[in-house]
Formats: sequence, C-alpha cells, structure tokens
Amino acid sequence: MGSKILISNGSLADPETGRFCRKDIYIEGRLIKDIADKIEAGSGDIKIIDARGMIVMPGLVDMHVHLRDPGFEEEETIESGAEAALAGGITSMACMPNTSPAIDSPHLVKYVIEKADSTDCSIYPVAAMTKGIAGKEITEMGLLSEEGAVAFSDDGRCVSDARLMFEIMRYSVQFGKPLVLHEEEYSFSGYGLMHEGKFSTRLGLEGISRLSDDIIIQRDIMLAGKTGARIHITHVSTSAAVDMIRRAKKNGVPVTCDVTSHHLFFNDSFLEGFNTNLKVKPPLRSRDDQMALIEGVKDGTIDAIISDHAPHLDTEKNTTFRAAEFGTIGLETLFASSYTKLCRDNGVGIDKLVRLLTLGPSSIIGINAGKISRGKSADITVADPGADFTPAADSFRSRSKNSAFIGQKLYGKIKYTVKKGKIVYESGSN
Amino acid sequence: MIEKANILNPDDLERVIKRISHEILERNRGSENLVIIGLRKRGVPLARRIADRIESFEEKKVDFGKLDISFYRDDFGMKIKSDVEKTEIGFDITDKNVILVDDVLFTGRTIRAAMDAIIDLGRPRSIQLVVLIDRGHRELPIRADYVGKNVPTSRNELVMVKLKETDGEDGVILLEKEEDVK
Amino acid sequence: MLSKKSILQVDDLEKEDVIKIMDTADSFTDISKREIKKVPILRGKAVVNLFFESSTRTRTSFEVAAKRLSADMINFSASTSSLKKGESIMDTLRTILAMQVDLVVVRHSDSGTVKMVDDLIDIPVINAGDGKHQHPTQALLDLYTIRSRFKECRGLKVAIVGDFLNSRVAASDILLFEKMGMDVSIVAPSMLLPEDCSGFKIYSCIDDVIESADIIYMLRMQFERQGRKFYPSIREYNRFFSLNRDRVGRMKESAVIMHPGPVNRGIEISDEVMGGTRSPYSSVIIEDQVTGGVAIRMAILYLILG
Repeated sequence: MGSKILISNGSLADPETGRFCRKDIYIEGRLIKDIADKIEAGSGDIKIIDARGMIVMPGLVDMHVHLRDPGFEEEETIESGAEAALAGGITSMACMPNTSPAIDSPHLVKYVIEKADSTDCSIYPVAAMTKGIAGKEITEMGLLSEEGAVAFSDDGRCVSDARLMFEIMRYSVQFGKPLVLHEEEYSFSGYGLMHEGKFSTRLGLEGISRLSDDIIIQRDIMLAGKTGARIHITHVSTSAAVDMIRRAKKNGVPVTCDVTSHHLFFNDSFLEGFNTNLKVKPPLRSRDDQMALIEGVKDGTIDAIISDHAPHLDTEKNTTFRAAEFGTIGLETLFASSYTKLCRDNGVGIDKLVRLLTLGPSSIIGINAGKISRGKSADITVADPGADFTPAADSFRSRSKNSAFIGQKLYGKIKYTVKKGKIVYESGSN
Repeated sequence: MIEKANILNPDDLERVIKRISHEILERNRGSENLVIIGLRKRGVPLARRIADRIESFEEKKVDFGKLDISFYRDDFGMKIKSDVEKTEIGFDITDKNVILVDDVLFTGRTIRAAMDAIIDLGRPRSIQLVVLIDRGHRELPIRADYVGKNVPTSRNELVMVKLKETDGEDGVILLEKEEDVK
Repeated sequence: MLSKKSILQVDDLEKEDVIKIMDTADSFTDISKREIKKVPILRGKAVVNLFFESSTRTRTSFEVAAKRLSADMINFSASTSSLKKGESIMDTLRTILAMQVDLVVVRHSDSGTVKMVDDLIDIPVINAGDGKHQHPTQALLDLYTIRSRFKECRGLKVAIVGDFLNSRVAASDILLFEKMGMDVSIVAPSMLLPEDCSGFKIYSCIDDVIESADIIYMLRMQFERQGRKFYPSIREYNRFFSLNRDRVGRMKESAVIMHPGPVNRGIEISDEVMGGTRSPYSSVIIEDQVTGGVAIRMAILYLILG
C-alpha cells in the first residue's frame, strides 16, 4: 500500500462521459480508488489537495513532441523533456523520430522506451516511415511495431513520392498503426519563412502558400480512401485543410487530425516584430485560417491538440529570421495556451478542450491513457483556470527556451500533476 | 516670469534703427560693397529695416540675406534646437563688408557660429556686427560694432525683443525669472 | 527631433517627421551646391556604415552625407558568409560599440535583421536596406526628388514597374507615397507579385499607365534575389515592361522617370533612353535621386543625432 491523496472540491472533466462537474477523487498507491461527490479524508497519513475552483482532469496526452534524444541532447533529452511535460500537466506523450540517428530501427525504439522508463512520464516512440526519414525506402514497420512503436511518421519531412506514400499506407494497414503525416509540398515551401499573405509581403519574408499543405493533404486523403490506411494529419494549419478533412471524415475515410496550440493561439500578424520563436512549420497562417481551426475544434473535425514541442538552441533562434530554425517549445504551455484561446476567448467548453488533450490523442495512437475512472492508474492533472502567468525565457524546465508564448499572458496554470499516484509536479515547487 | 522694465518702446526702436543705419553708412562711407545679413529669426526683420533705411538714404539697393546657424552651433545634441530654416544668401559675399544683424548679444556663441557660417560662404573684406541689445555676460571675445542699447543684466533676467514682423508689435522688455524674485 | 530614435521602416515615420526631413534636406541641398560643401555640426560624432550585404551607392551616399556634416565615417563591411549565426552579428556589434560610435547605418540581406540590431543596441540605427523588407531612406529620397520636381505630391499618379515581389524599394515607396496622398499602381508580371494582391492596383503592361502616370518608377530586375526564376525572357520583359523611346514619347509632358539604380540597361530602360553620362531626356531624373539622396541622408543624420 502506497501513499494516499485526496483531491477534493475540484471540478472533474471526464472525457469519457463528457461531464464536467464537482467530484472528489481518492487515490491510494498507484490507482484511483474512488470518485464520488464527497469523500471524507480518513485517518492516517493522507495528502489533501484542495482543488476548489480548479479543473481536475486525466493526465494530459501530447501525441507530438520532439525530444531530440538521441543526437541533439544539448537541446533536450528524454529526461528534461519528461520534466517539462510534467510541468505542463502532461503524463503521456509520443515522441517523433527525427532524431540523430532517426528512430528507424527496432534498437532505437528500444532505446527510447528504456530511457523513458527512468522518468515519471510515459513516453511512446513514434517510428520513422522511411529509413533515415529520407523519403526513399520504407522502414521495418513490422519489427518497429513489435518493439513498441505506436505510430509511424516522417515528421519534419514530407514523403514527396506519391507512389511510395501509397505503399507506406498499404503496408501500415497490416500492422494497424496510424501514420502521422507532416504535409508539405516543397516546391511551394522551399524558400519560405512564413505564411504567404499580406504580412509576408509587408515584412519582405518569403511566403509559404497554403497550397503547400493543401495539395499533399488532398493527395493523402485520396490515398487513404484507396488503401484504408489510418492516417492522421498533424499540425493542420489552413482553412481548406479543415474543410477537406471534415468532408473526408463524412465520406468515411479513416482520417484524423490535430492542431498545435500555437496555431490556435497566434496568426501571421504576430510576426511583425520578426520574433524568430514564431517561425514554425507549417507557418502561422492568417487570422481566417486561425478561426477555421477554432471552428474545426468546435465541430469535432479536429481530434487532438498537440504542442509540437520543438526545442532549439539559443544560437539557432537568436539569429536572423532567415537563418533561424523552425519550431517552438510548447509542453509547458500546452494547456494554458489552449485554455486561454479556446475556452476564455472563443467559448469552447472545458469538456471539449480536455477531450482534445486526453482521450482524443490517446485513442488515435492506441495507448492506455487519457481516462479517469475507478481502478485506473492515477494520472491526474489539476489546473487553476483563474491563475494567470506570463512565460519568460527563464521560466521553462525544458533545456531550450524558444517559446512562442514568451510574454503572452496565459490563464490556466497547472497546479498539480499526479502520475501513477505520485505528485510529480506542484506549481511553485521549483 | 515677471516684467521688470521697459527697455525700448516702439518709437525708441525706430530711432535706434535709424541711428545705426547712419552709423553704418558713416563708417563704411556709403553703401558700396555693403551686404546686410540678418540672423534667424529676429535678426532678419531688423536687418530688413536697416537695409530699407540704407536704401532710402542712399537711393540704391543693397544686398540682403538671411542666415540660419543651425549647422554651426556648438550646443548640438543638447536638445534645445528649433527647426532648421533656410539660409538665403543669393549673392557672393567675397570682398564685401558684411553687416551681420541680430537682436540680442549675450554669450557671443551665436555670433561665433554665424561668422563661421559666413566664412564658409566666401571671404568677406570685413564682418561688422549690429545688435539691438547688448546684455553682457560674454563667453567669447566678441563685441558689437553697432549697439542699440547696452543693458546690464543678471543671468536670471531675460531680454525679450518683439518685432511687428514676428510678434505683431515692437518693443523690448526686461523679464525676470520669478523664483529669483522671492 | 524625430518621433523615434531609429529609422527602421517607413512605418516608424510620422507625417510630420517626413516633412521635417524634407524641409531640412532643402537646406542641405543648398550646402551641397556651395564651394565649401561642409558644415561642422556633427564634428566629433562617429557614424558606422555596417554593411552585411555589398553596396556601393547607398554606402557612398551615407558616407558623403556624414562627411559633409563633419562626422567621422567608419566603413565596416562584414561578409555574410562568415556571419551565418546571430552570435557573430552580436560579436560584430560588440566590436562596433566598443569603438564608441554614435550611430549605425545597417544593411543586411535578411529581412528583419536591422530591427534585430536595433533591439540589441541603444544607439540610433538607420536601415539602409534589409532583405526584401524595406529601404526607408531610399523611399525618403524618392519622395524628396518628386517633391523637388512637382512641389505638391498629393494626387500624383505613380506607376511602379517591375519586380515588386523582391523589391524592398517598392515596399517602402508604396507605404511612403500613399502616406503622402499619392496614387500608386504596380505594373508587373504575375510571377513577380505576391499571391495575395488585394489592396494593390495591378497592371500587366506598362502601356496601361504610360500616358496617365506622373511618375514612372522602374524597379531593378533583381535576379539575384529571386528564389526561382519563373519569368520567361528578357525579350518578353522588353515587350511588356521596359521603357524605350516610343514609350517615353507617349508620357505626359511633365512626367518623370525614376529608378533606384543601378539600371540594367536594355532590361528596364533602353540604351537610347539612358544615353551616355546624361540622358537625352530631361524626364529621366535618376541623377536627381542620387543628389537628393545625399541631402536626405544629411537631414536624417542631423535630425537623429540632434
């Protein structure tokens, strides 16, 4: 028998039932022992978390992060990434294979899983679809699946070869694993630095047309319709993409998709100060696209919200806009930024938000996470919707500081993160 | 600021201008080779009035110009600058007797700047200085050739020259900063 | 004496600033015509030309301007190849700051880099061209040249012809010209325009504007700045966009031809229109732009350091 925790007076957002109401939760050892309207703290050594006014939810699931390990450990490691995730209320995450070397062989999947075991966060490797993420040859998807890869992706790169993509899709069906697709047509994005639009013209920064995403998304929806492969379009950024996916779903194509918290929060007008932390791929699109993404969240077209946590060294960001790398970190701001933009500014229900940050992604990659019920592992996150904070470069646990959210006022501070019955993060406990 | 004394009334001013015009002609033996240059901004109408007098006494035109000394100041960067106005000197000053006209002679720094500005335009035979009021407190070895009135002042006093062309009325008054009155 | 410490983009200039710069430049135009083309006002001030991208015209223009104001001008050319990382830009800035300079004129091939420099240092910065973003002093000298010619700028019709997509000059000119009430249109082929042209008046042939424009502003074909070349040929460009004798003949009597230089003879403007050391056409006022450029830069240096 382990430690006991009582989370009392909080409002529980349960993604399975969609209910959001006051509940007490009693944890004993690694498991949730009881969930009820009122639980009295028994005698003995029990930690009581007073969650009055707070949101209590399953530990968050981020299905798209870059942990940079192996290969770029000065940017992030599996351990530092796990710390950052827990501070962001994330207790399970899937990491992308574009490391060095790329996660394209079973021993590398094993490396991630073993290293992740020493952390308090559950980390699931996504393996490469093509060897070395070079877009040429299909990886050993069977062996990789057996070793524990939860999905396949060449994230960071797009498979340009349509025939190869077709074969990857057909093959993936045999292992039942989803393909997480980074959609980019290089002839459109090649020189681009930001969204092609009014602001790129004004700032004199080469644009990336929406067509860069849209053309490939259209192609892959066609291929998925043909092959029956489960495809997951990641970091959807355009209005047309939301429309295409909405239609494809209606037509029964096995497609899901996600959006990043920064694409929900920002649009291309924020680039006016040439802030390199806002240089991301796909680029922050127009306000209309941003609104279409929020609409996609509301009507259920979008299945998950991700951080696309992409750590970079200071020297890779603190340079000219052209020379700067693409990407922003996001684990520690995932909940607050999404809550602020969706629930506070755009009237999205907390139940919907929580679903997109828990059960939505966990069911896509087929992991046992994102639920909260009696007898389950006690992975619980408590956030205070009334507490605001403004991230600064030195406020992150991630090894890298390249956050798009620096200087933005965010609501919904993570107060506690509980993983397997243990308090692994408590705000102010730095 | 409080008004302390009336130094010149409009009639006084007229008389002073007339006298100085005569003195200039007397000293230079006529208006041959004379050019009159007013310093922006109140030196300009004063210079114009002197030029008018001289022209009517001598019955012939004298060259008249306006000088802005913004680019020759020595207090640059001290954030006390007004807008640059155009220097308008549409004639050659080489070998001319330049009559430089300003309203008040104080530290002498403006006149130093004006002389440098003039010398960059050519090599005059002489530069002679006209001031309406000399209030003392020189910081440079500069003196006026023609003075309307010497007014010994303290540093916290201010001489205010008003001219019809710039201020709507003629007159010179002495002001004193209030904090020093007690 | 201007509303902002630095001049990074046309957007930073209030209308009053623009007028003050123009008026001050008038005085400097006179000074540049004198025997002694120099005034002592910036004696003891040190100005650095920090050029990460090669340039002769703009660099020289700033140099002449600074020298005519008696400032010391230090030319610091940093080759971009050895300056890939921001770290190195910072090291360069440290070196320059250690020289106790009062103002930095910066040019860089990447948009936004001059702003980055301005964020890093306290002394005033003048953008002498950053990537495809802006070149505000060029816009000011263009406006000055137009004002000197036409006196009143409001309502003038300007046609900007050529590679709009890659031109920081066009970007700055449009903002400034429109701020001053001028009517701007763009004449360019589709591949040299952004995807979204809403808000711009676009024409696809110079003949559409040649008779109505007061100012024909020819842009340099910036082959070096085009990522991929989609335009078919110079022959085709000549047919639809170049100025030749026939087209100049159809311009309004009072109309003028401008170009930021250097002109690609035979591409934007034909040899016969350009002429030898001077154009046979008085409507070609490219040299006035150069002369005005010195006066404008003198005015800017004077007003910023004042």
